[in-house]
This record gives sequence, structure tokens and C-alpha cells, in this order.
Amino acid sequence: MSTATLDRPVATTATRRPGFDRLLLAEWIKLSSVRSTWWTLATTVVLGAGLSILMCWGNADWLASADADESAGSFITWGMMIAPVMAVIIGALAVTTEYGTGMIRSTFAATPIRGRVLAAKMVVLAVVMFVVGTLTALIGYFGANPFLENEGIGLALEGDVARAMYGSGLYLAGIAVMTAAVGFILRHTAGTISVVLALLMVVGNMVMLVPGDLGDWLTKLMPGNAGSVIATPDPFNPFLLDAWPGLAVFGAEIAVLLVVAWVLVRRRDA
Amino acid sequence: MIHAHGLTKIFGDTTAVDGIDFTVEPGRVTGFLGPNGAGKSTTMRMILGLDAPTRGTVTVNGHRYAESPAPLREIGALLDAHALHPGRSARDHLRWMAASNGIPTTRVGEVLDLVGLDSVGGRRVGKFSLGMGQRLGIAAALLGDPSVVVLDEPVNGLDPEGIRWVRSLARQLADEGRTVFVSSHLMSEMSLMADHLLVIGRGRILADCSMQEFMVDHAASYVRVQAPESSRVEALLTEKGADVTRHDGELRVQGIDAPAVGEIVAAHSLVLHELTLVRSSLEDAFMTLTADSVEYHAKSTLEEVAA
Repeated sequence: MSTATLDRPVATTATRRPGFDRLLLAEWIKLSSVRSTWWTLATTVVLGAGLSILMCWGNADWLASADADESAGSFITWGMMIAPVMAVIIGALAVTTEYGTGMIRSTFAATPIRGRVLAAKMVVLAVVMFVVGTLTALIGYFGANPFLENEGIGLALEGDVARAMYGSGLYLAGIAVMTAAVGFILRHTAGTISVVLALLMVVGNMVMLVPGDLGDWLTKLMPGNAGSVIATPDPFNPFLLDAWPGLAVFGAEIAVLLVVAWVLVRRRDA
Repeated sequence: MIHAHGLTKIFGDTTAVDGIDFTVEPGRVTGFLGPNGAGKSTTMRMILGLDAPTRGTVTVNGHRYAESPAPLREIGALLDAHALHPGRSARDHLRWMAASNGIPTTRVGEVLDLVGLDSVGGRRVGKFSLGMGQRLGIAAALLGDPSVVVLDEPVNGLDPEGIRWVRSLARQLADEGRTVFVSSHLMSEMSLMADHLLVIGRGRILADCSMQEFMVDHAASYVRVQAPESSRVEALLTEKGADVTRHDGELRVQGIDAPAVGEIVAAHSLVLHELTLVRSSLEDAFMTLTADSVEYHAKSTLEEVAA
């Protein structure tokens, strides 16, 4: 064989480091090449949009009546109270299945600067969930609003309603990134999903029982509460932070988790 | 070229790798041999920057693994055939790896073809047999056409045809001037594959030599003697300076070669029933060398268990 020579040029150190776009592509291939991703995204849309439509269909006449004590603006994004569960699952699976299967070793061998892996995963998750979340909210709006219009309480796609559409995308993106950060910290699928769901669904409501100002502030600052306001024109709970300050708090909490995840991922053996 | 210097890994109070030094040279197949738990996999994980050494360093082509801009183009590794997501197809697994290191996607088809998985590239790897998983792992190792190839227990789960294929592949890669580092706990396999041996036990290097030297140094031989008057023969040979031990009626003689034993016995007109040179196998040599460093001993006979 003509290539079988010992003076074959084998030094490859001159190779340039692949750009971040290559890592984004790698993470997108990973995410898009397993069926569970597509099932979970489909469920996000079906539940997120479907429940908004269902609740508006069932409650439109009551919302239009004099004894309504909730607003149509809360119901138009009703599904966004359930869709975060799917974002939690996507965020967890994107990270913890790598630890569960041992594939994380292939990942870190391919990209030894682990912070780049973390960053690429987060960007891909955030973009995917922003798109899916916004789409879900829009489908929900266009499906649910005709029932409201029939009762004369239709909502125009402008102002807070329009903001709630891409706000839903931002909220789900945040939830997925937060869960993925927890996934890097815990490295275990069931543990990650339970911890984040407990934080969002249980602890977020339990702190309301804490008396006085402390309870009020804890409620406002819990990630699920602070982040959710951006995803609805009119939150069911009137005592939460406003949409953008809430998102800022949520973002800061995610940033803290990302830093913890980054430090641990760099330090730990894979 | 892989170079380790004082490489140490301590997990809690267990020293998995204990200050080892070695160099894996290009152009030959270096076998990394040791019983289970000897520290082979830990060493390989440190080479790949997956585990951080407690002390010491290990470099690939003169620098730390993490400093490689596109590591898959420099060092390819089969670490664990299960290190992949069962729901992803073989082709998609290789696609993401190629993307992450800027390797052209056309290379994915090439390596699938090379390892004989081209017809099942679209199938999910969870449905793969252990042998197919190993082949995919080897495909991943070769994806970036690296100058250094590290294979951890590559023949595990392969059928005889697959084992021969790995052997000839390792040979071919070494002949192309690449550094080939192959671990195994099977001496018989290493004797067929490796030019150079690195034997590890309990985290220490027990031997670092060519296969030839290993045989001379560690494969002990003795002369088996059976004789009706074995006690007299034993006394005679001992008198001549031989080292004689008795096993179930046969004598094992070391220090005097077979012709000399025959002549001594004949000079005293004694009868021999057997006179055989017995060379212990490489397997035995390896067992002897690592006897003290095996982590999990099985009781070798039922009596021992009963006792």
C-alpha cells in the first residue's frame, strides 16, 4: 500500500479550532436526531395551545358576564401554565441522557473546552423553545380568540397580548435553559425533572403561605412566578412582578444556575 | 505519541493510577495490558482529558489534550461502546461528532463503510449488538483521520471475524505511522496484536518492553521429568545444582536443560518415563506478573470454596 510510510505527515496541530457555529450545529444534530425531542415539542404545542383554546371555549360566556372575576387576558394563554412541564422535559433530556448513557464522554472528548459545550447546548435549547413557545401561544390565540369574539370580548393582537406571544417563547426558553443547567449540576434525568417541577409547581405556590412581606416577596421572586408574567397579557395572580422586571429576575436566577453548572462541569471528571 | 509523566489518579482513598511514566511511540501497536481494575481505563480517560490527573501530566503529540483545537483530528478514541444515545442512528451519532470538529460530513459515510456498518447507518444504535456498537465506536475513533488512535478493549463483544479485523486494522494504522494504543485484559489477544507491551497492575507499570523481551523475561520454562525412582533422580539433579520441585509425582526441573538432565540420569543408569521442556504460555507469564495486583480473585476450585 502506497500510504504505508512512516514519514506520513501526521502532525495536525495546525488545524484551526472549529467555530462556535460548528458546535451549535453539533448540538442541533443531537437534539433533532432523537424522537423524544419531537414528541415533547409536539406535546408542548398540543397542550399549550389546546388548553388555551379549550378553556376559552368553555368559559367565554362567563368571562363576558357581569360576575366574571377573571379576565379574558388570563385565559388566552391558559396553556402556558402547563407547557413549561414540556420545556422542563426537553431541557433535562438534552443534558441528562448524555450523562445517563455515557455519551457525555464522547461530547467532552470532541470538545474539551466544556464551557463551549454548555454554551452551545443552551443557545440551541433557547432558540428552539423560543420558536416553539411563540408558535404555541400564537396557535392558542388564533384558536381561542374567535370564542371570545363571539361574546364580544375578543382581544387584538397588539400591546400586552402581542408581548405575551413572544413572551411565551421567552418563558419556555428560560425554563428549558434553567432545567438544562440543573441537569448539568445533578446529571440525573429523574432527579432533574423532579427538582425543577417541584420548584416551579410546588415551592412557587407554597411560599405564598409564608406570612407577611417575606412571603409576598418570596412569591414574587420564585423563578416560575417571576418568569411567567411575561407569557400572559394578564396574570391570574395580580400580586406578581410586572412582565419585564419579572423576566429580569428570572434571567438573573438562570444566570446564577448557569455559573454553578459551568464551574462544576469544568471541575468534575466526566 | 503519548507521553505520561508521574501520572497519578486518586479517587477518595483508592489510588487508581500510581505515578506512572510511559511513552507510546508512533509506528507500532502498543498493548496496554492489565487485569480489570488495574487502572487502564482511568489512564485512557486522563489521556483524553476526561478525568483530571491528581498529579503528573499526560500529553498527546507534546501538548495537553484540551489544548488541541480540533481533538478528533488528532486523537481518535474508542472508550466505551455504550457511550452513545440508544435512540440516535449511527449516522447521526457520527454527524454530530464530525460537525463539532469541523470534519467534512462525507467522512461519515467513509468510516461507516470502513467498519462495515454502511448498510445499518440509519438504524438506531439501541438495536445494535455489542459487536456493532464496537464497530461504531471504532468508526468514531477514525472519523477525524487522527495520528493517534486509542482503543479501550476493542475486541470485547466481537465475533472471531471482527477480532481478526480489529487486529489487521491496528496493524495497518501502525504501519501508516500512527500511534496505536490498545488496551486489553487478555494476554492472548495482545500477543497477536501488539509490538510493544505496557503491563499495568494496581495502578503501577509492571513491564514496559517489546513482546519479544516480555516472553524471554517472564515466560518461565522448566523440564518435566517422570521417573519410576523419582526420589533418586530428584536427589541427583539437586546435587548437580538444579532447582527441583515435585508436583503429583512429576519433577519440575529448572537450572539444567533437558539434554543435561537426560545425560545425568543415564550416567546413573536410571530409567526415565518422560523428559519434556515445558514453556509456560504468555497467559501464564501475565498471570504470574499480575498475580498480586488482581483486584477480584475467584476461588479456583470447589474445595477452596468449601474450606
